[in-house]
Amino acid sequence: MTVDALSLLGTSRFGYRRTAEDTLRDLDTEGIATAVVAPVHPADGDLAAANRELAGVVARSGGRLVGLARVAPWDGGAALAELSRAVGEDDARGVFLHPAEDHFAVNDARLRPIAERAAELGVPVVVAAGFPWQSEATQVAWFARWCPDVPVVMTNGGVLNISGGGQYHVHQALAGTRTCVLTNGMYRDDYLAVIAREFGADRLLFGSFAPRFDARFEHRRAGRIDLTDDERALVMGGNAEALFRIG
Amino acid sequence: MIIDLHMHLDDSEFVGLDVSPRDCVAGMDRAGVDSAVVMTLVDFPGPNPAALNLVAEACAASHERLYGFARLDPGPDGALDLLRSAVTDLGFRGLKLHPVSTRAHPADDATIAIVRLAGELGVPTLFHCGDDAMTAPLVLADTAAACPDATIVLGHMGGYYHVDEAIDVAQRHPNIVLETSAMPYPHKIREAVDRIGAHRVVFGSDGPMARPEVERQKIEFAGLSTDQTALVLGGNAARLLGVSA
Repeated sequence: MTVDALSLLGTSRFGYRRTAEDTLRDLDTEGIATAVVAPVHPADGDLAAANRELAGVVARSGGRLVGLARVAPWDGGAALAELSRAVGEDDARGVFLHPAEDHFAVNDARLRPIAERAAELGVPVVVAAGFPWQSEATQVAWFARWCPDVPVVMTNGGVLNISGGGQYHVHQALAGTRTCVLTNGMYRDDYLAVIAREFGADRLLFGSFAPRFDARFEHRRAGRIDLTDDERALVMGGNAEALFRIG
Repeated sequence: MIIDLHMHLDDSEFVGLDVSPRDCVAGMDRAGVDSAVVMTLVDFPGPNPAALNLVAEACAASHERLYGFARLDPGPDGALDLLRSAVTDLGFRGLKLHPVSTRAHPADDATIAIVRLAGELGVPTLFHCGDDAMTAPLVLADTAAACPDATIVLGHMGGYYHVDEAIDVAQRHPNIVLETSAMPYPHKIREAVDRIGAHRVVFGSDGPMARPEVERQKIEFAGLSTDQTALVLGGNAARLLGVSA
């Protein structure tokens, strides 16, 4: 079963938009069974309302969509309460953090209570990673060390740079923590294959991170990574099924 | 004819990667690419004293499947002579500059001089153009303005977060061409074609490390017309290289 381990839904304050219909159409076109979805940053900035709206869309999707709760540290205790509510009431399967859009560094001490709450709730954390000064792989690793049992997923291959230097940061992060990497946007498929080979195929997940990235193209990209059949089954869906309790 | 304007080969002893001419051709064959421009991963002069010869010999033995760009460090004395010799004696078809590795600012005197010389020799200059310092499109725009008779190709067309900027500067400077490798957004290729014309956007893969077939699929996902696709996938590169399409 193929799972797109992350895309965003809603109309973003930052100029992009994706509906449930867009997502389901791409799933059908590409033969993908399920997508893990998180809310965009809405125009009014109310992440809790966006989480509730997303939960409604997920509930109506017939099991094709699985939701994550988006929170930001600037909401303090309210963010923790919202996370608990979303997991308890909406069956959110994890936390989504977007340090660049929600304007924080993921290794800021104010994030530690969120990591600890994720640990209490037993859910993974997905971080929009690779943004300089906010979510470089080494910063995500610092976050991950606060609660070593919490799986932490880095989008964008963990690095947003075509010169390649940041790939060493990702290796550093993977070596010292229980972090995983999403395939989206990573042009070096040999680098993704190395991650599976050196750290295990359970550390790599196909995810499109649409709509900033092209859902269909990202699926084709991930499908071309040089993996064994068993590794591919994990990367294209098995890991996401286990991590987000799908199926 | 499909031409990939951005591939790499090198001696694995220096770069720790399998990027031989054979690897390049295997990637091209998988992607249905007829010819490709190849350049080393290291600058010359630099760690590989045979860098230019490596490319020249690979191209000479390739039956016109490979064309070379000389990846040079513009800073050291003799850089201009190196480029002149590479083009006139060794048959190189272009210049590659990577300011991240050379630490040479794109608008400094040495870089301007070598880009102007490339223009005089009738060959394009391919810059690494991504999200790093000294490679962002607005930095390279100054180079384009200072070298109006040289063709400047922005490799990766701005990377992840400078793509809009790359299209902006290409719109402002007619001597800029955008090259599509690694940049992850198919719809931005379409936007570039709409704004600056299909004759100024070229396909590249950054292979063989990146998969040429995936990079080619990005062009197909851009939603271009048949004529536009033909220009982007090969016609424009043929014109830049001076080969028949």
